[in-house]
Amino acid sequence: MTPLEYTIDNLPEGLTEGPQWLSDKRRQLRLSFNDKPLPRRGAHLWRYTDPGKFVPNSSATAPVTASPSLAQIESELFGLLEKKHLAAVVVDKCGQTATIRMSDELGKAGVVILPLEKAAQSHTPLVEPHLYQLINSEFGKFEALNGALWQSGVFVYIPDKTTISLPIHLVRDAGTAASQVFPRLLIVAGKNAEATIIDEYTGGPSDISSGAGMSHGAVELFAGADSRVRYLCLQRQAGGMNSYLTCRARIDSGAQMVTIPLALGANLSKQNFGVILNGKGADSRIFGLAFGSQYQQFDNHTLHHHAAGSTTSNIDFKVVLADKATSAYTGLIRIDHSAKGCQAYQENRNLLLNPGTRAETIPELEILNEDVSCTHGATVGPIDPMQVFYLQCRGIDYDTAERLIVAGFLEKTLQIVPGDLRERVSSLIRTRLEAM
Amino acid sequence: MSSHTPLLVLKDVHVEVEGKEVVAGVSLTINAGETHAIMGPNGSGKSSLSNALMGHPSYKITRGDVSLAGRSILAMSADERSRAGLFLAFQYPLAIPGVTVANFMRTALMAHRGKDADMSDFRKLFKAEMAALSIDEKFATRYVNDGFSGGEKKRIEILQLSMLQPKMAILDETDSGLDIDALKTVSQGINRFHNKSNGILLVTHYQRLLDYVKPDFVHVMMSGQFVKSGGAELALKLEDLGYDWVSEENGGKVTVK
Ligand SMILES: Nc1ncnc2c1ncn2[C@@H]1O[C@H](COP(=O)(O)OP(=O)(O)OP(=O)(O)O)[C@@H](O)[C@H]1O
Ligand SMILES: [Mg+2]
Repeated sequence: MTPLEYTIDNLPEGLTEGPQWLSDKRRQLRLSFNDKPLPRRGAHLWRYTDPGKFVPNSSATAPVTASPSLAQIESELFGLLEKKHLAAVVVDKCGQTATIRMSDELGKAGVVILPLEKAAQSHTPLVEPHLYQLINSEFGKFEALNGALWQSGVFVYIPDKTTISLPIHLVRDAGTAASQVFPRLLIVAGKNAEATIIDEYTGGPSDISSGAGMSHGAVELFAGADSRVRYLCLQRQAGGMNSYLTCRARIDSGAQMVTIPLALGANLSKQNFGVILNGKGADSRIFGLAFGSQYQQFDNHTLHHHAAGSTTSNIDFKVVLADKATSAYTGLIRIDHSAKGCQAYQENRNLLLNPGTRAETIPELEILNEDVSCTHGATVGPIDPMQVFYLQCRGIDYDTAERLIVAGFLEKTLQIVPGDLRERVSSLIRTRLEAM
Repeated sequence: MSSHTPLLVLKDVHVEVEGKEVVAGVSLTINAGETHAIMGPNGSGKSSLSNALMGHPSYKITRGDVSLAGRSILAMSADERSRAGLFLAFQYPLAIPGVTVANFMRTALMAHRGKDADMSDFRKLFKAEMAALSIDEKFATRYVNDGFSGGEKKRIEILQLSMLQPKMAILDETDSGLDIDALKTVSQGINRFHNKSNGILLVTHYQRLLDYVKPDFVHVMMSGQFVKSGGAELALKLEDLGYDWVSEENGGKVTVK
């Protein structure tokens, strides 16, 4: 069987457990996956990436060995939890949710953090109305794939009027071998709730020489009226990973959502972040960053769907490419006919550090009423040689000048990353720049 | 006060930009302890010369030689020239978004002192120099020249001068854009910097800067050449009479385009 003919013949054992409604859903999604044709190369959102790269290998299995750095990250995060820098820590090992630890305060406040299949059983009224609501088989073939096969699922619930000031940090490790993982996350924040969720994706084979590892992720997020939710997605998987992630959020009236997609890792990374502004006064901001070197390939999409009037959205998506890395960014702003008085802004800036890099930027606007203000901008280009010269005139050598300018380019985005993580992300980028 | 140690020596320097010769053979010797001023009409080549001396990639020195403290600098990159002791305060300083003035200054100073140098005095030094130039402390965390007013940019240029302590400072219209008080503060900053062992080359249009920073020599540049040199009194005469008489004196040989 060629990879393109891959079908799910049976749900693996273990996935048919849980409540009936869930296994019914999984079966349904299994069939839709099998029925749906593979997206055609060149179809919308597939112009820059070969869909075949995301078709699972029928012989691949779930990972058996955790990545070597996981233990260190884990102990670091547990340390931060103890020091009250984090509210909760969730660790996936080898495609299975292994550890969930949270502060006592969180439990007392009624916050729920559970493996998704457990929550489906124990908190059905919270899970069933939300799971698969935003990401299901209608979305696409690979979304159906995750829907049927997700294994390391996590459920996070923040009750109404509950403020969790410290971040909840999830690490989803894909192990070391060329295996495949299907992480899924469901976040439900109640009315007037406040929380920060850090969702970190790690692991995978270090290169594609013995086949790519595969990660198919899905994140659904519901933000109740007047809630304030920050969702940070850090993709720093190893260089042998083909990584696919779909994230959809629906935010109600007066809710403020900040999405921070940071894509640093993987061989091929295709990520789709969308926010549906579903009630008056909802506000969404996306601060994206993709940083690529060597032969890394990024294909990022964002969607701001203004489904209600008087909603505001803002996207600042930055891309830095070195060596032979490539990026395509497609940003769609959709404003419904009934959604009057909306404001939407979208900016995509691409910094190309070498002539071998390539960046595409595709703004898409579907604006169905006139009573809106919508602007977008994009730049693609090398570092300004005059900026380099200015720094050189003060004794700073070319390489250091370049690093300083790149750091400056990313500064605004990094400022939004919560404290402890900001230092780690900055140093990840610094190390990469210094190695160039 | 000059000790006659040549600091910056220009020998028949020609500069080309965009394939056009804009400096057509200038020679000049600046000794340690001296202050020289270049004056001249717009477009006469003053900034082109300054940029070329600093190693700007667009301004090529096509003929002649430039040496700093006895060493030719022509083969050096801009950062090497800076570390060798050359400094240029820009007529139009560039913004570096996202890079704070403090981080920039620290990186620059470290480049001058060497990678493993002790930087523990940085904070104190930086604060003191900012205070001396009446620069508000909040500028330390602002991004370099990003949204700065014209005068603020010029002050930051002089802050860099006083932090880096070069051997030879070229100041291209540092007085333009400054209000009356700022002109005084900045001039004081330049004078504080100046000593027996360093040199200054001022590019200016106005006597008012020269009232504060006294030049030992004034050179008039027209169409890419020095057409007249003299003492401080030459600047006063230019202020009164403009440039026409200089070009007439040259038998109309050098005309202002
Ligand atoms: N980057 C450039 N590209 C093309 N021409 C240039 C460039 N820079 C300078 N020139 C030209 O070179 C000549 C000298 O310009 P320069 O800026 O050196 O004059 P200046 O004496 O500094 O004038 P000002 O007093 O107005 O600052 C002018 O004709 C100018 O148009
Ligand atoms: Mg000039």
